[in-house]
Amino acid sequence: MFGHDFLAGYSAKLLEYGLAVSYLVLFVAFWRYVQGGTAKAQPELRATPHRERAASSGWFELPSDVALHPGHTWARLLADGSVAVGLDDLGHRMVGPVESFELPAAGVTLAQGEPAVRLHAAGKSVALVSPVDGQVIAYNAAVADSSDGSNEPYGQGWLFKVQPANWKLSRAQLLDGPAAKDWIEEEAKRLVARIAPRAGVELLQDGGVPVHGMAREIDPENWDRVASQFFHTEGA
Amino acid sequence: MDSATTVPAQGSWVQEKIFLGMTLKEYLKSLWTPFNIVAAAILAVGLPLIVYRFYAGLGATTNLSQTQPWGLWIGFDMMTGIALAAGGFTIGATVEIFGLEDYHPIERPAILTGFLGYVIAIVGLCADLGKPWNMVGIFSNNGTQSVLFEVAWCVCCYTSVLALEFAVPFFEWLGWQRFYRPLKKILLALTVLSVMFSTMHQSALGSLFIIAPGKLHPLWYSESMFFFFFLSAVIAGISMVIVESAISHKVFASQFEGHHFDADELTLGLGKAGAVVMFAYFFLKLQGVIDNHAIEYIGRGFYGKWWLVEMLGFVLLPSVMYAWAARNRRARVVRVAGVIAVTGIILNRVNISMVAYNWTQPVRYVPSWMEIMVSLALVTVGILAFRWIVNRMPVLHELDQGSPAGH
Repeated sequence: MFGHDFLAGYSAKLLEYGLAVSYLVLFVAFWRYVQGGTAKAQPELRATPHRERAASSGWFELPSDVALHPGHTWARLLADGSVAVGLDDLGHRMVGPVESFELPAAGVTLAQGEPAVRLHAAGKSVALVSPVDGQVIAYNAAVADSSDGSNEPYGQGWLFKVQPANWKLSRAQLLDGPAAKDWIEEEAKRLVARIAPRAGVELLQDGGVPVHGMAREIDPENWDRVASQFFHTEGA
Repeated sequence: MDSATTVPAQGSWVQEKIFLGMTLKEYLKSLWTPFNIVAAAILAVGLPLIVYRFYAGLGATTNLSQTQPWGLWIGFDMMTGIALAAGGFTIGATVEIFGLEDYHPIERPAILTGFLGYVIAIVGLCADLGKPWNMVGIFSNNGTQSVLFEVAWCVCCYTSVLALEFAVPFFEWLGWQRFYRPLKKILLALTVLSVMFSTMHQSALGSLFIIAPGKLHPLWYSESMFFFFFLSAVIAGISMVIVESAISHKVFASQFEGHHFDADELTLGLGKAGAVVMFAYFFLKLQGVIDNHAIEYIGRGFYGKWWLVEMLGFVLLPSVMYAWAARNRRARVVRVAGVIAVTGIILNRVNISMVAYNWTQPVRYVPSWMEIMVSLALVTVGILAFRWIVNRMPVLHELDQGSPAGH
């Protein structure tokens, strides 16, 4: 028969077409199988790229790899196991231009929550706490001498590095991720409420960038006391 | 409060950047680990053998012959090395071109793996070539009819692109913002180039075998080999990134502290992609066999059974495992499937370039111990280089705005 001969002559083609059609049918089923399945149990754990989080920090900068101390100092674990420490963005905006930082020398042992740094500005000085326990191994001479580091508070504005006594223990006391973001927003609201009690929270929503040196706005004479309240170093 | 600003606390540049903040004595002491001892033993044998190969020649060090001019150094170091290094362009394209930003945290390790893979493949190639210094000839000769010419040019260009892509974390590590910021801005352009060059030479490596229909077993031979090589390189890239991420998370666990990305979630996503690509690859390979009129060879004799082992055990099985694991959210199963898939790619390249090549010849090629040691030494160098770089440079995480000392 002609039909039979036709198929016999093109058996390879028949197989090819058969395979192609089978593949397409199976692929649809396979695709649906792969795409289906159990829903993600914890949506909040969804991977979020580092740079995206850093960019979506809202009012104040907040990179995803730093943990914050309630005294407005940050800590970042470095590859060699040491921890870099600095003053957070809101802290910088609060005190305004800094004349100099008095930084701890190498070998000095610091305790978490205890004063570690003293910054000098506008004839006054304010203490900052260490966010971690540990021994100082280096400090940022560039910041100590000239710049206030406010342009890059989480980068070149770092203050000192410590070899942590127990990073995990210290880390457990710090804020990070959404908790840190929420906390810093609350701190900002608290600060703005003191600058303009009537405007209050609304000032935060209008997109206005807060002035550099907000504590001086609140109390030009005793701004150091205001800053100390936020830095948890009153009387230090 | 103990404070002072007069005592410089930072060590020298070398101490900070190279010795991870330790003194030379402390650093050397820290190197005394079982892994390093084994690695040192391999290098102690392998590296002198490379020198010996150039002193005594290929005949004295390899089992290569006129009928089998390509051996382990081409089949494993070059063919497999290049395929396994495909993660660089696969993940690069995923993040930079397709905009899947979730995969950004694994882009740098993938690029580094790619870069090291290519450099090692080139070193392996130099060892294999009779007169490697003649390689410069590709820059002056117009050999556009040759597949090897295309491979040589593309590998050359792509390695340069990878070097530029890797320069971003390198300059970031050195704190040279003037260099790394512009590079970071042109990363998209570099990724486009990397996809272009990779597509060309990954497939061209397959084209090398199209001109040898009589030499390669019909089950592996196909006129579409260039496409199979490209597609399997994508599988290799995805699978290698899965395996490499799993190992990195164990070995460099401390570097991930404070970095918020869910490795399991990324692994599951990669597993999903791997499942679909491997499923398509499996059917296309079958199509290639039918097209080559070689279907009767399946299951017949050693080669027929060996082909089934490769296709069912190392293509279909990991594909189904990827699919099942992605559906049931089992990241560990994805990782196991990744290991099987990577083994499958190695098997495929070794089969094509050695096992199923010259299959009609009475005398079979078996690599000499010196060839094996040299290949082992090159892989060891790659692993050590990866670890050395990751321990110092911002590869597994990015520094923020030139932050202090990324070791």
